[in-house]
This record gives sequence, structure tokens and C-alpha cells, in this order.
Amino acid sequence: MDWAGWAVFGLIATTALTAAMIAAQLLGLTRLDLPLLLGTILTENPDRARVAGFFIHLAVGQGFALGYALFFVLLGRATWWLGGLLGLLHSAVALTVLVPLLAGVHPRMASYRAGPASRAVLEPPGLLGLNYGPRTPLVTIVMHLIYGVALGVLLRIG
Amino acid sequence: MGGPDPDQPPIEDYGLLGDTRLAALVSSAGAIDWMCVPYFDGQPVFGRLVGGPEAGTFRLGPANRSTVVSRRYRQESATLETTWETATGQLTLTEGMVAEVTGRLMPPTLLVRRLTATGGPIEAVVEFDPRLGEQHRRPDSRRHKEILVCGWPGLAIALHTAPHIAITPRQPTTVRIEPGEPFTVALAVAAREPLVHVPPAAAWDALEADERRWRAWCMDVHQSLPRRDVVLRSLLTLQLLTYSPSGAPVAAPTTSLPEVLGGTRNWDYRYAWPRDASIGVAAFLGVGKQDEARRFMAWLLTATRLDRPRMPVLLTLFGRHPRPERVLDQWPGYARSVPVRDGNGAAEQHQLDGYGWVIDAAWLLTKSGHPLYGETWRAMAGFADTVAARWREPDAGIWEVRGDRAHYVHSKLMGWLALDRALRIADNHRISRRRKARWAAERDALAVDIIERGYDPARQTFTRSYGSADLDAALLVLPLLGVEPVDSPRVRGTIDAIRRELTADGPLLYRYPPGQDGLPGTEGAFLPCSFWLVQAMAATGAVDEATELFDALIDLGSPLGLYGEEITPVDGRCLGNFPQALTHATLVQAALALRDVDGSSRRL
Repeated sequence: MDWAGWAVFGLIATTALTAAMIAAQLLGLTRLDLPLLLGTILTENPDRARVAGFFIHLAVGQGFALGYALFFVLLGRATWWLGGLLGLLHSAVALTVLVPLLAGVHPRMASYRAGPASRAVLEPPGLLGLNYGPRTPLVTIVMHLIYGVALGVLLRIG
Repeated sequence: MGGPDPDQPPIEDYGLLGDTRLAALVSSAGAIDWMCVPYFDGQPVFGRLVGGPEAGTFRLGPANRSTVVSRRYRQESATLETTWETATGQLTLTEGMVAEVTGRLMPPTLLVRRLTATGGPIEAVVEFDPRLGEQHRRPDSRRHKEILVCGWPGLAIALHTAPHIAITPRQPTTVRIEPGEPFTVALAVAAREPLVHVPPAAAWDALEADERRWRAWCMDVHQSLPRRDVVLRSLLTLQLLTYSPSGAPVAAPTTSLPEVLGGTRNWDYRYAWPRDASIGVAAFLGVGKQDEARRFMAWLLTATRLDRPRMPVLLTLFGRHPRPERVLDQWPGYARSVPVRDGNGAAEQHQLDGYGWVIDAAWLLTKSGHPLYGETWRAMAGFADTVAARWREPDAGIWEVRGDRAHYVHSKLMGWLALDRALRIADNHRISRRRKARWAAERDALAVDIIERGYDPARQTFTRSYGSADLDAALLVLPLLGVEPVDSPRVRGTIDAIRRELTADGPLLYRYPPGQDGLPGTEGAFLPCSFWLVQAMAATGAVDEATELFDALIDLGSPLGLYGEEITPVDGRCLGNFPQALTHATLVQAALALRDVDGSSRRL
């Protein structure tokens, strides 16, 4: 297991993913903003939330990178296409499980069942994150492909 | 498909039931003739209102001849109560939807209806005919113990009665209601999730708990409001028309209720307009409901994100662009008013006034002690930049005219407002000097342009658009903006001219000269304009007259205190989608205007 590689390249891959996501937002492709979503768990100020959320996202990305690294070790090789395949799987899980489930645990995110007493101001992402724009699934897939390919290229076995 | 429905009640006969995720309209006969699931802009499951008899209904009421003797919302709640006098006694239908289901194993949509009898046993009827969507699809029905389950792919509704009676869709079922033995019906809806069966008694308890919550919510509303009971009904209606999961304010829960009976001015209002959200911010701030006001601003911020710095005219509940407008070919419409439309084509228009409403709402928030977050301020500054860059272009105006664009004076005034309020916010928020200077220069240029090209000195009034002699009742917001002193001859002249030339009898006004929009037929009087007139008169010191006007407008509400968009001047019938959030929000603002000048102005 290449621990040094995991520590450095996990960070690089997550940063690349975050940069791609911010670019997608700036281009008007999606309203999905993971640093904001994660950071508003801690604070309702969007600007501060983005900073906090960025670091939370880095930590989460590092955790996922460990999973990728272990998977490469199990298979005995790390290639760009294997990383890409894992990225596809990762995006499918994120879109169908992780992001929709956020509404159940996030203190500032409303659910589809929210009533007038709800003080949650973040809208729920919905299935495939479609509430954040119709191109959200596509953006998410591309982001995770970048993340997976980066790890597949950069991580070394043994 | 069926033809027009001969037994159709007037629009104002309908009451609103809702849970802040969807809404139902129920007539005084006890018939739910409109309900879309699982949210406001979903597919109708009871659509008789505009879809004809084959589009489904759900009626609970007396089986035989009867007269409505009382109909009201229970005090400060969303629970509706209708009482009929029958040959054998009085029958009362109490009904509502459970709004608070978070954290409990409850269906997201739970409609509760209870019949009670006094004086003697009464024969009642249950007519349950759910049909889904454009094609009025009949459900697959089955029984699960005592529960009737009607299903379509991905959607199911369950009907549970206590005491149990066997109900079959489309077949009216008679039930005998004994005094002291209520008959309760619980209807649960499940979309893409399992049904949750709630016994009718538990559903009733949940509805009563909701009633208590609504009352507690109303207690916080300022006591000093004139006609507080009426204002509370408007605030509750605005709450019922706000989609809680995203905070989107829905303009109205219906599509294609006509602006002209039998005419073609039929639009889909099951969307959210940033303009309405902004007016809602002001209304809720004014009555002391800060959280609700901030929630609208939060919705504005997230919903407009993909389009910024352009402001979309209208959005879906989750901030998407609405589906393309299309006609539901086989639908007979309300009172033969076709076409029935799904989607709203105004979404693609450029409307300059929207920017003014939104930035003004942000200014009101900051003024009330809520500084803008950096992101909110950046969004507002972006909108101000758009106004500075585009105010010289023609637009579609607040009335969303579907023809050639024009230089509407109201749009220009609201453009001025956008820049002026952005400059005021900038006094306490970070912005570059260069940007501020640009906004100030454009604001001043805009003011000069409006007076040079949009004012008719001979008639002493601003006009509807540059080069036009027509008037526009939207200009009644003029004294509220600050572009002109309230006592200026231009302001007073415009108010007088609108009252003189756009009067539709009594307190009513047409929004512009009837027929001047390129569409066939003559629409009714436009109620928000009359409430703006109340504000304008209060602002210019005519407080007693404004109060009289306000009282007269209150008398024009439906028996339940609900308002549509328009009203016929001749017989006071509601027109247009119903109930209408904009009208209710302007009613609240008119009451606030009277409250704010009351005492001080009169004593001067």
C-alpha cells in the first residue's frame, strides 16, 4: 500500500474534483455545491460554509481515496481506466444514495415532507440531484471520472 | 372525453385546503374538484374543475336537497367547515390536510374529512372518482382489509373510513350519519414510496394538532393590523401556497381558470415568480414573520443560481425552468374556457421589473436588521449590473404581454428602483467605487429618461409605455418607490388619471385599458391594482379614503376570504387562477400601509 501516494494524490484528486465542480457551477451547468452542502451542516453563513465545506470535502475525498487505493491493491494494478470505472460506480452511488440521503441528516436541508414549521432553507437534492438542475447527474459523473482517473494514474501498488 | 360541466360552481365558491406541498379546491357542495399530486405542479388526481366530469372528483356531502347555512375556516387555521341544513337536521363537513408530517411515520399527503350530524340522522353521500393526469386514467383498485387502494404506476392513494363502509370508485355510496357518531375519511397519497396507512381517528388527531400549530403561528402576527382577521386569512393562504420543501411561493394552485369566462386567457400559474417571492418578503417582514421573509429570500437565491445575473421570470418549485407550454386538447376548461394550458410560455420573457422587486426585498431585509450574506449581496449586485446594462431595451412588462416588447414605464421605474436599492444596500456592504458610480449614473439617466419619454405633461400622468397614451395601473406603485416625492404633481396626477381612466366601478380598476393586450375578449378588474391604490392613497395622505377603499375591497373577497386575480365589475365573480398569491400579498401590504400611516398622518 502506497501510503504517501494516497496522502498526496488523494488530496490532488479531490482538489481536481472540487475545481471541476466549481467550474461547472460557474458555467451554469448545475446548482450542486458540495462544499456549501457540507459546510452548512456547521454554519448557515454561505461564505463561511463553503470554506468549512471545502475542508470537509477534502477529508471525505481522502477517505474515498483510501477505498480506491485498497481496491487497486486487491486487484493488483492501478490504471486510468480502472480508476475511471470506479469513478463511474462512485458517481452512481453518490447520485442515487449519498446525495439524496443528505436530506435525512442535514440540519439545514428540507425534505420532501417538510412542513411550514421547517426552518431548513436548503432545498433537497432529489433523485440524481435533479433538483439542482437537469445537468447535475452528468456533471457529477464527469467529476467522479476525473477523480477516479486521477487516482488510477497517480496511485502505485505496493 | 367529456364536455363542459353544467353544474360547475363559480370560482369563488371554492375553498382552499393545503399542506404546503400541494393543495385542493373544494366547493360548497363538498366536492374536491382540483388536486394535483404529489406537489402543486404534479398531475391532477381530481381535475373536474377544468377537465370536465371525467377528470375526477371526491365529494362528501348531503345525499338529498340541502342548503349551505354556514361555511368558514375554523378560527386562525386551515381547517374548513361547511354546514348544510337538510330535511332531517344539520350536516357539517370539517376538512383539512395535515401539514406537519416531518419525523413521524405519516404519509406526506394526508387529507382528512369528517361528517357530523346534529338534530337527527342524515343521509350523506361519498362520491370518490380519482382520475390521473391528462388522460384521466382510471386506477387499478383493490381492497386491503378496510382500506380502498387506488393505484397507477408509481402512485397510489388509499381511502380509509371510520366507521367502515365499502366505497367503490365512480359509484356514489350513501352513508347514514347519526348525531354524536362522526364519519371520518382519511385519504393518503404515496408517490414513488410505500403507502402509509393511517387510521381515520389518528388522522383526525393529526389534523387537530395542525390546527393548534396554525393558531400558534397566527398569535405571533402583529396585533396592530387593520382588519387583522382578513389579513390573517391572507397570510395563511400565502403560507398554504408556499412549497415547504424548497420555500417556493406558488402563484396559484390551478391552471387555466379563465380571465374571461369562455375566453382564451387561460394560463398555468402552478409556478413560482421571483416577483411574488419579493412581495412576500415585504408582507411577512411587515407583520413580524422574519423567518418566512428570509425563507423567500433564500429560495430566490438558490432558485435563480443557474440564470444569474439574469433573473428568470418564473421557475418550478425546485428552481428549474418550466416545461414548454402546451395545450391539453381534450380538456373542456372551466365554463368552456379553452385552451387549458400546461406549462407557462412567459418563462422566456425579459421583464425588467422583476429585478426591482427582488433588490427592493433585499433592501427591506437589510433595513430590518438582516445584513446580506456575501453570496446574497453578490447576487443582488449582479442583478443591478444587469439592470444597468439592459434598461434601455424594451421588455414584456409586468403583465407579460405576449406580443411585441415595449418600453413600459412601470418596468423602467422598477429598473430605477433596482439601482436605487442596490446603492442603498451598498452603503453597508462591500462593493467597488467604480461599480457604485456606474449604478448611480445609470439610475439618474433612467430617471431622466422616464420623465422625458414616459410622462405626458398635458395630462399630468405617466403613461403605460413610451409614446403611448394608455395608462397602466401598475404605476400606482410610484409613490412607494422614491423616484418622485409623494406630493409631486406627477405622482398625484398619475394616481388621479388612473382612478379616472381605468376605473372599473367602485373600488375596482382595470390594469390597462381593456382589450389592449392583443387577446380576444375583455378581462375583469385586476385586484392587486386596487390594493396598490390603497397603498398609493395612504402614502399620499388620503388615509380615510384609502381605508374606505380597503374596506370595500375586503367586501369583495370570497365568502371564505379568498381572492382570485381578477373580478367581474358587474357581478363580483372571481376570474383567473384561484386563490392568487399576488392578490393576497398586496392585500397584506395595503393593510400594512394603513397601519403605518394610521394615527400619524391623520393627526397631522
